[in-house]
Order: sequence, then structure tokens, then C-alpha cells
Amino acid sequence: MSGRDFSERDIHMALDGELPEEDRTAYDAWLDANQDMKARAARYEADRQRLRASLEAVLAEPVPARLSRALEGGAAEPPRRAALRWIAAAAIFSVGGLGGYALGRRGDGPVSRDERLAQNAIIAHRIYSAEKLHVVEVGADQKDHLVGWLSRRVGLTLMAPDLSAQGYELIGGRLLPADGGTAAQFMYQSADGQRVSLYITSDKGEQDTGFRLYEGDPIRACYWVDEGYGCAVAGAAPAAKLLAAANLAYRQLLAGAEA
Amino acid sequence: MSVDARKAAVLAEIPRLRRYARALLRDGDRADDLVQDCLERALRRLDNWMEGESPRRWLFTIMHNLFVDQMRRKGRRPEGAMLPLDHAEALAAPAEQAELMGAREVLNALQAISPERRAALLAVAVEGFSYAEAAAMLGVPAGTLMSRVARGRDDLRALLDDAGRRRMIRVIET
Repeated sequence: MSGRDFSERDIHMALDGELPEEDRTAYDAWLDANQDMKARAARYEADRQRLRASLEAVLAEPVPARLSRALEGGAAEPPRRAALRWIAAAAIFSVGGLGGYALGRRGDGPVSRDERLAQNAIIAHRIYSAEKLHVVEVGADQKDHLVGWLSRRVGLTLMAPDLSAQGYELIGGRLLPADGGTAAQFMYQSADGQRVSLYITSDKGEQDTGFRLYEGDPIRACYWVDEGYGCAVAGAAPAAKLLAAANLAYRQLLAGAEA
Repeated sequence: MSVDARKAAVLAEIPRLRRYARALLRDGDRADDLVQDCLERALRRLDNWMEGESPRRWLFTIMHNLFVDQMRRKGRRPEGAMLPLDHAEALAAPAEQAELMGAREVLNALQAISPERRAALLAVAVEGFSYAEAAAMLGVPAGTLMSRVARGRDDLRALLDDAGRRRMIRVIET
């Protein structure tokens, strides 16, 4: 017996190969005598196994050419700056239209046009979703009027997408100022009072984007630019739910624009 | 050691650098950007690499410093980080979904651990550095390194438990 006491710290040391060899027997005996510590050690080991297994595939991937080229020196190409930083959801649409990926930027660069779209949508959502009495200017009971008015003011053929498949019902909408123009906001609410909003503005930028997620705290936005429509679905809902709602909105807006 | 021999030694480390970067940043392209920055910096400083020093430790130290810089820059931009849309990925590749689910859960959990703990845990538990090596690499005392590893491991356990519970809830809902 080495007369020392063991603690959870030794579990980490044992796992990481840092436990002195002469302590090993006493450590094992301590584990046997402390079943909760033994379970903890087994759990940590299992987690480590999962961690390693989850990353193992990376080792087997072929080294991207840009990395091996980086070592050749001289005309080093600029890093690709995570052009695919946000996985575009284009592939999930059978309808085309959500083509290419916009080029990524360095993390410290200026905020891009489409990120500003997401930010504006988030700000508008934060302001109006918190309203009790005046959450919308025109209620869903006057939906046709609302849609016609906003279409005219925003300069796009709009429709108020049906998001009930995700549990959201339209409660109405409003006109908003946007960067140098106007934007429409459709507000939706779930049965338990959670709100998401769809923000639409005219975006004549040359590049369409796939779906992207902008993580604000606590409001996030799933946004995209397509066919001159700059759209964002904003809310505090989990990203997957926002994406599903955005997916619904995207298809209906596209169908509405083509109708 | 000739320049070519040094370059060859660096080249051999790329897969491991990529694994570490991927685990740190989650997003494959951002991870490769980090590796590329690391390689470019290493190339410029090839002369600083001491004869006999492990190329792995040298490169990991360079990359870790770049990672810390990046986290600092991100900290100054409070508007939130961009996250990949996992669910879009999953929908796009249903066949791989089940197989990748476990890995995805682990990689997501890692992102929820603070960068310091994440780096310490990965250096020791995945990359197999000793406490002394990892402490030197991360530029912290060994005691700090140890406590980061321990806390990171505890965070990971709790996060995986949460993820497991959420998965249960989803299964029940559908």
C-alpha cells in the first residue's frame, strides 16, 4: 500500500497516463472500494473513446491540395476563408434556385450585406415580438390587405407563407425601414406563445446564397438571398426549427413569386 | 536538417493538425483555414525550429497560438458566431445521418466547452500529449492545464448527457 489518498484528480491522471506506476495498485484498489469513482473512471474512458472515434475520420481524409501547396512557399494562395462556412441548404430543395455559396470573409472583416440582413431581421424581431398590444400593424384578419400593401411598399410580389406545419400561425405584419429602403415583417406565433418573424426585403445583390444561420443571443436568424428576395426567419426557437420554418417560407415565397 | 527534410516533417503532421483544428472549430473549412495559416507561419519560421525538437509540438504550438488569436478576435465581435446548419446537412445526406449522428453530437458538445478547456482536453485526450507537453504548448502552468483537462472532461460528460436526453425527447415526439 502506498499510504496516499486518492481523489477524482487521480482518475484524470490515470486516464492520461500521468499516474506514477508505483501508485497503480493502490489506485486500482481504491477504485474497487469506491464504486462511484469506478463508474466515473469508466464513463470518462468511454467518453474519450467516443471523442477519438468522432475525430478519427479526419486523419484518413486526403490532405487538401491548398494545404500541401502552402508548404511550397512563394505564391501562397490566400486561405479560402471558409467559403462554405455555413452549409448551404441548397441540396434539400428539389426545386432549384438556391444555388451557389457566397464567398466567406475573414472573421474581422466588415459585416457583409447579407449578414446585415440577418442583423436587421433580428433587431426587428427583438423589438416587435416583445410587444403585447402592438405586435403588428395589420392583423392576420386582414391578410389580403396586409400582403397587397407590403408587396407594394417593398416592391416585391409577397405572400404570407403558411408556417402551420411548424406550429406557427400568422398574427399579422408590419412595414419596416431597411437599409435605404423598406422591409416587410410577418409575425407568427405558436400555441404556447413563442414568436418567429419572417423578414423580407428587396435585395438586388448579384449573389444568391444558401440558407445560413446567424447566431445572435438569444435571437437567431436563418437567412437567405434568392432571386432578389432577401429573407430571414428570426426567433429564439432552436436552429433546426427556424430552418424548417425558413424552408417552408422559402418554397411558398418562390411559388408565390412565380405565380 | 535540410529545408526539404524539415518541410517533409511538417507535411507529415498535416493530418493531425487538421484533426486538432477540426475538433477546435467544428467547421471543416474554418479548420483548414487555421491549418493553412499555421503552415504558412511555420514555413516563414522554419529556421526557428530547433534541431531535435518534435515537429508535432512545434506545429501544435503555432496553431494553438493562432487559435487563441482567433478566439480573441471573435470575442471582440459580440454579434455571435456563425454555426453550420447541421440539420441541413443531415437532411441532405439521410443515409449517412445515423452513422454520423454520434460524431456530430460529440463535435457539437465540444463547441459548447470553453476554448481553453476544449484545447486542453483535446491536446491530452485526443492528441496524446503529456501534461507537461500540453502545458508548454498552451503556455500555461501544468496545474492549470490539469484543471482545464479535468473541467473540460466534466463539461463534456454533462453535455453528452444533455444531448442524449434531447435525443430521447425527439424519439418520443416522433
